[in-house]
Amino acid sequence: MDSDEQNISGLLDDQSTLDDRRTSSSLSNQVISGESKETLISKPEIASKWLTAYNDNLCSLYTLTACICFVDLNGDGDQKLVIADLGNGVQGMKLNIYKGTFILSQLTLIDCPSGVVSFYMDSNAPRIPAIGVASGSYLYIYKNLKPFYKFGLPSLEIHPSEQDAWNQLVADKIDASQLKVLLENLRIEVGEASLTARSQRLIDLTDPGVIDDFIGRYKDQPLKRSTIITCIATIKKTVDEDNNLNCLIIGTENKDILIIEPDAFTILTSVQLPSIPVFLEISGLFNVEYRVIVSCRDACIYTIKRGFKTGRLCVQLNSQPVGLVRYNNNIIVGTMDQCLSCFTINGNCVWKINQQSGITCLTAIEVEILGLTLIAVALESRTVVFYNGKSKVDTIETENVITSMKFGRYGREDNTLVMVSRSGSLSIRILKRTAKFTSIESDFGEAGSGSTMKMNIPKKTKLFIDQSVREPIHRAFQQDLYRLRLVVARAYVKAIAASLNPMSSNAVDPLKLSAQVHGLGPVFRLILEIQNTSLDQPSYNLNLFFYCDVKIYRIHRNFIPVPNLQPGYIYTFATKVECVNELNVSDFIKIHVVREGDSTPIITAIINMPSSETPV
Amino acid sequence: MSLFSRLLSYLGLKKKEVNILVVGLDNSGKTTILNNFKKDEDKSQEIVATIGFNVESFHVNNLTFSAFDMSGQGRYRNLWEHYFKGIHAIVFVIDSSDSLRLVVAKDELDLMLKHDEIASKPNLPLLIFANKMDLRDALSSVRISQALGLESLQERPWHIQASNAITGQGLQEGIQWLTEQLINQKK
Ligand SMILES: Nc1nc2c(ncn2[C@@H]2O[C@H](COP(=O)(O)OP(=O)(O)OP(=O)(O)O)[C@@H](O)[C@H]2O)c(=O)[nH]1
Ligand SMILES: [Mg+2]
Repeated sequence: MDSDEQNISGLLDDQSTLDDRRTSSSLSNQVISGESKETLISKPEIASKWLTAYNDNLCSLYTLTACICFVDLNGDGDQKLVIADLGNGVQGMKLNIYKGTFILSQLTLIDCPSGVVSFYMDSNAPRIPAIGVASGSYLYIYKNLKPFYKFGLPSLEIHPSEQDAWNQLVADKIDASQLKVLLENLRIEVGEASLTARSQRLIDLTDPGVIDDFIGRYKDQPLKRSTIITCIATIKKTVDEDNNLNCLIIGTENKDILIIEPDAFTILTSVQLPSIPVFLEISGLFNVEYRVIVSCRDACIYTIKRGFKTGRLCVQLNSQPVGLVRYNNNIIVGTMDQCLSCFTINGNCVWKINQQSGITCLTAIEVEILGLTLIAVALESRTVVFYNGKSKVDTIETENVITSMKFGRYGREDNTLVMVSRSGSLSIRILKRTAKFTSIESDFGEAGSGSTMKMNIPKKTKLFIDQSVREPIHRAFQQDLYRLRLVVARAYVKAIAASLNPMSSNAVDPLKLSAQVHGLGPVFRLILEIQNTSLDQPSYNLNLFFYCDVKIYRIHRNFIPVPNLQPGYIYTFATKVECVNELNVSDFIKIHVVREGDSTPIITAIINMPSSETPV
Repeated sequence: MSLFSRLLSYLGLKKKEVNILVVGLDNSGKTTILNNFKKDEDKSQEIVATIGFNVESFHVNNLTFSAFDMSGQGRYRNLWEHYFKGIHAIVFVIDSSDSLRLVVAKDELDLMLKHDEIASKPNLPLLIFANKMDLRDALSSVRISQALGLESLQERPWHIQASNAITGQGLQEGIQWLTEQLINQKK
């Protein structure tokens, strides 16, 4: 009995095949009895907390975590999965809507999507959400899977010189190549991003034929400079309920964040940022109090509070973020240096965990039934690691590197994890009802601080209180001590690096050099004592060089050869130094001990000369 | 029990009382199936998602069934095991069109069959309704029995029946099989 055939043949067949089935069931009972095949196969699944509900290796999806969302399309609680496919990045962009394990619908997108959200745009009943797709400079709104509205971002100001250049072209005052030169100069002045798309394109064109064609086609249309949506999120408007009115929050290439009210698509708030936003995380209600956490291309995280027109710097990361998640009141961010870090809203680092390989994406796992929020971190090493706070509670091994994932209610299942891999496969896992998350391994060595174990701490004593008062003093002292040590260490390193020390620790030539200055000036006598401090190794072929400002000093023997230094003995050399400067300023003289044929000195002594008497 | 009725029941003439446990994921159609077996005047017109569980009783094939209609929602599924004791059969209902959650149904079925109370009664019959067979995306009962790994059930008598709880199609056949099993076991 073929399964597909039965599927099609429908109701009548079911009656007739009933008897077949009855026998087959009793047959199979006999055949398989005594075999323990089943227990063997299902063993690894028992260990896993996740059931694999669906796997499609051939759907070749290319998407981002921001482009996956769950939508209650019919308002009946049976959520659908929406994945915006970036195609190959140039063509083939699609909006896939899945129901269960089937594709329900596929809509074509004109431009590359940067995010997909589900939101309630009106207060009509039944509550049916709309799908918002951020793509290029537009926000496409779909209702009941039909295009409903296209919201264009407000166009930006055009640089007057650019407008002027095009006007001149239209008035035939300049030709295409002159226009191109004008625009190229303008680009150097204001940067590529401040030009219109049309001018950017013209600058890129080289073939004169193509240029003429391009200009002919576009010159009479008005110039327009638009920006591009880089990220999108939603915020509830007034009431914190699941299906209440939302506002949309979008980030643009123009370094701003816009909050849009989807009833009439008016911009309620616009916030300027120092850089281009990439990831958004939202908390709160628009009309009450809210906070937008946004990470930007300058590797900084900014926070925006209700009523503020600019973002406040929260954290400056060492590396570019690859994912951002809000966790209770903290921010968790994965960065390209294989680090998962947790920061408070004020930007203090709470913990930091190094990962075994690069992080590809992050997502929050809110398991309502357990009252738990986990962070899932997908790694280049084909694993997805789950953290509860900073303790690792679970891992999933995957066939391919997961590059985007979302957790939420799919179909009627509350705890579904949708994962898309780099090779384009789609995998849907469902959390088992019986799953419990307990720490499987602690990365304390890496985490660097504290253990989760509760310690038996005694009551605070008076001694403790006194001590805690003294502690800041001690800490201040320690801090200064460390600073001092640092300064010393730096000076030492500098000295070693430049061989500026009068003691050589060189294994071949351990030397000690000291100098004395006799006399009051303008003629001095410089006495040098040099000693080989090794036990049995004589030094050969050394030379003493003097270095000074020739406008101030004249040294009689600029160069003293030292053919042989026996260990232990002090050799003395002397030279006359004359101060030739009329103002009698004093300066330093450097003495280098150099091995013949070498270019770096073994040791160096610096002599600060005393100021000279005026000549009589 | 009077001597007469005891005599009747020995002869298999008196109506026997059987307890069945009706389980399955939420929205699979358990309440709708049981509603079909009730007398017309008892049938409820509107079926809402079950909270916790309900006890329903009905007469079919000369047997009095009292059925525990358990709620299939995730947070109530841990109630199931409290009713494993004293039952004579299990009815497991599956939404054939919910291909995504077939793994979840399998997981719950496996958990149940592994439970001491059930595992210690290897001849407790298991009836599976592959319900909602009228829907377009519905999987065939063969596909479902494969997905659930029913072939590997060893001694336990089981039967899978495609059904449509709205029209009542397949329900009689299912309960017929169950009755036969119960009568055979009584003998
Ligand atoms: N098309 C179709 N719909 C069905 C069928 N059986 C049940 N339904 C519908 O499925 C929905 C859920 O049915 P219920 O009987 O409440 O499901 P349940 O298993 O009792 O669910 P819980 O009580 O939540 O565990 C209802 O809207 C039924 O009308 C069927 O065979 N075909
Ligand atoms: Mg019910």
